[in-house]
This record gives sequence, structure tokens and C-alpha cells, in this order.
Amino acid sequence: MVNKPQPRVLAEPLTDAAKNESEFVHDVYNQIAPHFSNTRYKAWPVVESFLNDREAGSVGADVGCGNGKYMGVNRKLMVLGSDRSIGLLEITQGRGFEATLADNLALPYRSDRVDFVISIAVIHHFSTPERRLQAIRELVRILRPGGQALVFVWALEQKGKRKFDQDHQDFMVPWVVPRNTASVSGVQTEAEVPPPEEAENDRVFHRYYHLFREHELETLITESDLNSAVEIADNGYDRDNWYVVLTKRIPE
Amino acid sequence: MRLLTHNMLQCHVKSCNDPALNFPLQFQEVELEQIEAEENEALLLNLVGKIDWPALVQTTSELGITGLPPTKPDVVKNDPALMKRLHEILLETNVAQGKMVCRGCGHSYPIKDGIPNMLLAEHEI
Repeated sequence: MVNKPQPRVLAEPLTDAAKNESEFVHDVYNQIAPHFSNTRYKAWPVVESFLNDREAGSVGADVGCGNGKYMGVNRKLMVLGSDRSIGLLEITQGRGFEATLADNLALPYRSDRVDFVISIAVIHHFSTPERRLQAIRELVRILRPGGQALVFVWALEQKGKRKFDQDHQDFMVPWVVPRNTASVSGVQTEAEVPPPEEAENDRVFHRYYHLFREHELETLITESDLNSAVEIADNGYDRDNWYVVLTKRIPE
Repeated sequence: MRLLTHNMLQCHVKSCNDPALNFPLQFQEVELEQIEAEENEALLLNLVGKIDWPALVQTTSELGITGLPPTKPDVVKNDPALMKRLHEILLETNVAQGKMVCRGCGHSYPIKDGIPNMLLAEHEI
């Protein structure tokens, strides 16, 4: 492959967080949903073992469930999936999973309800520290006391195929839909063969990411009001991501 | 959307915070669909502890679904008929189309092809 597009440093901060996340996160995922989904089928080991460690019959929430790839890992659980992208949710719903269109900043679930929460590769799409914290606050709010949340975010220090300028943390990361991929949005039908000029070229979309430094995720939580609500049960690095397991404290 | 999910949802418009009114959301113009689900006794027993029973009774009665005792029985496990009915109601009864309306503020959440849209406008968050 020639000239694979590389992540681009965001020199200026995004001025209108909600508007920019809508354009550079929600809209992009809707447009790339079928191709993105086809590349998302392998479960990450830490996530898989977290799900397999849950008690049989547990009810959980997968906030930012995407195409639902984690929702069927452990068939003894009931997972309520939610996402901001309707394109991805249609795939999840089509697989027979619970799919709700919702915003992580204001979740529609009742408080203190679910036994566990997973948030896999979601929080890094929020463009201010306060919005990232508010998203985590909502995960904790819906968790029952004693329940656990697993949160994965992209690491700045990642050693994988993408290289990031270590002096910056906010990036536009390209997603390439290869040429001849018939449809990038909606359900593909024979009548919807794209015009030849589109099909002959790769299509590049850009998603906004805030890449986390080591311990930034834990610090965001412990230096906030959440510190009294949760305990950090585990944390680490896996597959280019930092992760943390939070346990919601039981009131004394 | 299964009925168990409905029991977990509430109106979350910021100014709508009367717990007597923002839950349960009222179904309107719904199209129901029974979809077979795997039996899971552990899940059913966990759900009985988790769900709001009066809300489930109110919702099923509004939908014309029968077979639930008005108050939550102390022991569900030893009642196979009730376990079966709960399985059918919570795990197998799906809402394919319709809407959920808040009894407090009147906000209407549409359900399309089994997916409820719980997004709010910026000023409602």
C-alpha cells in the first residue's frame, strides 16, 4: 500500500466540543459503519476475560457497543448495548442483541441498576477533560454498588502500526475505506452500486481522538468527585490501550 | 427492544426529575413481536431482584399482557409457571415499532426497527 494516511496532530483545540464530536465522531462512524464493522470481530483478551469472570445471569451495559462484538462473548450474561451511531446499532440489533441509541454523557438507564459496565474504545472520542469525566460518571451512576466497570482508552505511547507525536494528545485519525468497497453507509443493495468515480478510489474519513498518557485515566478519576464513589480494582496496558477496572463503593 | 430493557430506562430530560413520573415510560402505538430466547434461570432470578415490579405490572397491563401477580412473590424459583411467564415477558417480548412517552414532561422516545432512540436535544441534557 502506498502513502497510508497517518494521524494528524490537531494544532488548535476544537472550539465547539459537541459540534465537532458530532462531525468527527458520530457522522464518521455512521458513514463507515459496514466497513468498520467488518474489521471488528476479534475480542481483546482482557475484555473477554472480564466478561467471562462475571457471575452467570449478570446484567450489564456495553456503552459504545459499536457492532456488538462483545455482547455475545458470554452467553450466560444479558448485555444492554448502546451507541451514538445508528449505523452500527442496526448491525448490533440485526444480530439479536439489545441496542439503544444513546449519548454517553446522559445515559437513559436508571441509577444503581446494572451489575457491570464495559466502555471499550469510547471515552477517547470526547474532546475535553470534563466531557471525558462526565462520560465515566454516567457509567458509574448506572452501576449497582459493588458492580464493576471496565474502561479501555487508546494509549499515546502505543507501539503498534500507528505512530503518534508524543508531544501532542489530540489527533485526527484516518479511516480508509478501500476502493471497490461497494457501500460505506446504510444497507447495501444491488441497486446501490456506487458511481464508478467513487469506487475507483480509497475513501478517507477522519475521526477525532484524545490519546491518553499512562495514568491519565486513573488520575482523571481519582482527582474528581468520582474518587469517593469508586475504587480502582485493576489497571494496565493491553493492545495499544490503557485500561482500568472500577468497583463502585458500597455505601457504609 | 425487550421488555426487560424498558424496565431499566427512564426519562432523562434534565428538568424532568420527579421519580414518580419519569418512570416507567408509557408505550404508545407499539408493535410487539415474540422472539424465542435461550433459557437462563440465573438471569431470570437476577432480573426479578433488579426490575421494578410495579412498573412491570403497570406496563404489561397497559399492553394487554396478562399472567403476572400484582405484587412481587417472595419466592419465584419454585413456581415454574411464573418463571416461564417471566421468561416470555422479559426476555421474549420485543417492541419492534412505536414510542415511549414520559408521563412527567411528555417527551416522546421513538422506537424504530427494535431500536429506541433515547437521544436528547442539547438543552434537555
